[in-house]
Amino acid sequence: MRTTALAAALLLAASVSARAAKLRVVATLPELVDIASRVGGDLVAVDGLARGTEDIHQIVMKPSFVSKLNRADAVVYLGLTVEHVFLPGLLDVARNPKMRPDPDTSNCLGSGCIDCSAGVKVLDKPETLSRAQGEIHPQGNPHYNLDPENGRVIARNIAAGLSRVDPAHAADYEKNLKAYLAELEPKLAEWRKLAAPLKGVKAVSYHKDVPYLGAFTGIEFVDTIELKPGVAPTPTHLAELVGKMKEKKVTLIVREQQYDAKTPAWLAEQTGAKVAVIGTMANSLPGSETFIKLSEANLKNLLKAAAP
Amino acid sequence: MKPLLLAALLTLTPAARAEETAPSAEARIKSLEERLAKLEGAPAKTSQSAFNPAMGAALDLAYSHTNGPSNFSFRAAELNVESAIDPFLKGWFILVGSRAEVTIEEAALQTTALPYNLTVTGGRLFASFGRLAHFHDHELPVVERPRSLDAFIGGETQADGVEVSYLFPTPFYLTATAGAYNKLGGDNARRANADARTMDNFTYLGRLAAYTDLGDDHSVELGLTEAWTPKRFVNETAVPGISTRKNTWRSLAGADLTYRYQPSAGGSLRGAVWSTEVMQNNERRFDSATDLPTDRVRSYAGFSYVELKAGRHWRPGVMVDLTEDLDRARTLTRTFTAFVTYDATEFQRLRLAFSRTTDNLPTGRASDTVALQWTGVFGKHVHGFRDR
Repeated sequence: MRTTALAAALLLAASVSARAAKLRVVATLPELVDIASRVGGDLVAVDGLARGTEDIHQIVMKPSFVSKLNRADAVVYLGLTVEHVFLPGLLDVARNPKMRPDPDTSNCLGSGCIDCSAGVKVLDKPETLSRAQGEIHPQGNPHYNLDPENGRVIARNIAAGLSRVDPAHAADYEKNLKAYLAELEPKLAEWRKLAAPLKGVKAVSYHKDVPYLGAFTGIEFVDTIELKPGVAPTPTHLAELVGKMKEKKVTLIVREQQYDAKTPAWLAEQTGAKVAVIGTMANSLPGSETFIKLSEANLKNLLKAAAP
Repeated sequence: MKPLLLAALLTLTPAARAEETAPSAEARIKSLEERLAKLEGAPAKTSQSAFNPAMGAALDLAYSHTNGPSNFSFRAAELNVESAIDPFLKGWFILVGSRAEVTIEEAALQTTALPYNLTVTGGRLFASFGRLAHFHDHELPVVERPRSLDAFIGGETQADGVEVSYLFPTPFYLTATAGAYNKLGGDNARRANADARTMDNFTYLGRLAAYTDLGDDHSVELGLTEAWTPKRFVNETAVPGISTRKNTWRSLAGADLTYRYQPSAGGSLRGAVWSTEVMQNNERRFDSATDLPTDRVRSYAGFSYVELKAGRHWRPGVMVDLTEDLDRARTLTRTFTAFVTYDATEFQRLRLAFSRTTDNLPTGRASDTVALQWTGVFGKHVHGFRDR
């Protein structure tokens, strides 16, 4: 009995120390948890913050997130201020010298900050910054995770970030990165072919988070259901939108799963366009737990709705 | 022959060297692409605004109607300025102008790089007593600050002093805060803020706050606070030079409990908050006209509210506040408030509230108030963790 207890204690201690030896990484979004886990492999323990089904602009700061960030060696985030409602506030109280919020820009400062947006070709950079334009992001549209091609950039940034934080295992991260890209590249080639029928299809989306998706698929997004980014549609705007959709022969309405279904359904009824539901984060749709599965699910839903 | 060969060699060598050292067109394009990518990903901040502090403002307006008379009220224009000072410190101040005056509501320095999970904040700050007590007026879930907070704390927990907080390095969230201040409460008239005092005349605060997730969608937060003032000198108005010093300690204890339901998506109910705060005040009271000591009184007060998040814009809720009189613990004022908030956007909010106030005095009568509040936020807007 004693021997069994001792063995159990030793096993527990070993598992605790193995976990302790791992790099503690916190990733803000589920697809970043996925890619960081793949690139980090056995060397990292990755915790996530968002669940994936929320509106990314309304993620609530939970105190349990503070404890995770306090003990983390690195934080992986999408950047371009998309996490502005929760990440700077959490970093402010997490008291982790490796990741501090910059009070001037709300960016993450410190050796543990891994910004996945470095090197992304940013779209929709505002020429002027005014709230009259809605809830715009000063550094440009931050929803680049909807372009499957950017999976590469995200993975490379994570590998570079982990190598910086943990240089002793840089070769392992590089190896894991190559393995991940080897899985992603054929998928990208396959999706590019699959997306061919979407080229030139005219569409509206609920929120202006689809330019990157448009760049990959060739879908031409002509307007949004929202009046401006983050500003709910008004009856006048919807009436004008119906006219515009008819005039431009818009056949597709893209609803991000977190937005209400009623307005897009009404719009579909008025115009004859079909509704496609997409996810803006992994886990947002059934069977979309990873970056690859999310990209695939979005593409399939778009193709299904756009099919004649 | 030799000079010719030498000249030819001299002519050719730099070109050959240039060919060797000049980057290929492909490398140059790659380098340019990298630089362009960096520029495209760079923040929009320009050198003209570099090192300027971040600024934001809130405007809070209201119309209220109480038992007949009505009033348009410019409640506050609040300007907040914040910046990093150096790698170890940040600072901020909040200037508030209202119909009556312009005041500095907060002006504080806070460490950002102390070891051992410690943070020190000093200056004029909102002390960490309870939950809603340190919210600015326009951030409250209701139009008017709950009566219990006004009576027991004296408005917001504004205090001149210093606070140290510690985040326990545990897998669950647990913090401890200790503070020392001239006094607690912006409208607390027990002692003038500017007076120098002995150490036993300061107010000392201790707070413990914990949090736990109950599954994915539910969470509970619990806080316990004690604000202790060891001594108070009260000069008699009638006989100058005589003051009461004995048995003048004051204890203000509070407990706050907040339950949150935050479903990740779907449905018309997008969330709910139920929050309850209870306070006990124990102090020797003084006659308001003569400043002669009366009895030591133990009074209780508190409030409880529920707020639902229905859809993208609407947040209806109800609040009940029960406040005992600080001098006569058996005199109870009850305030029932129903409110609905409409978030037009992240930066603009409208709120309609109806309040009925009654007390248990034989002469008491009900007082009804209808209020409409309109709030706008502009400039830098940061979602703070403490006032979430």
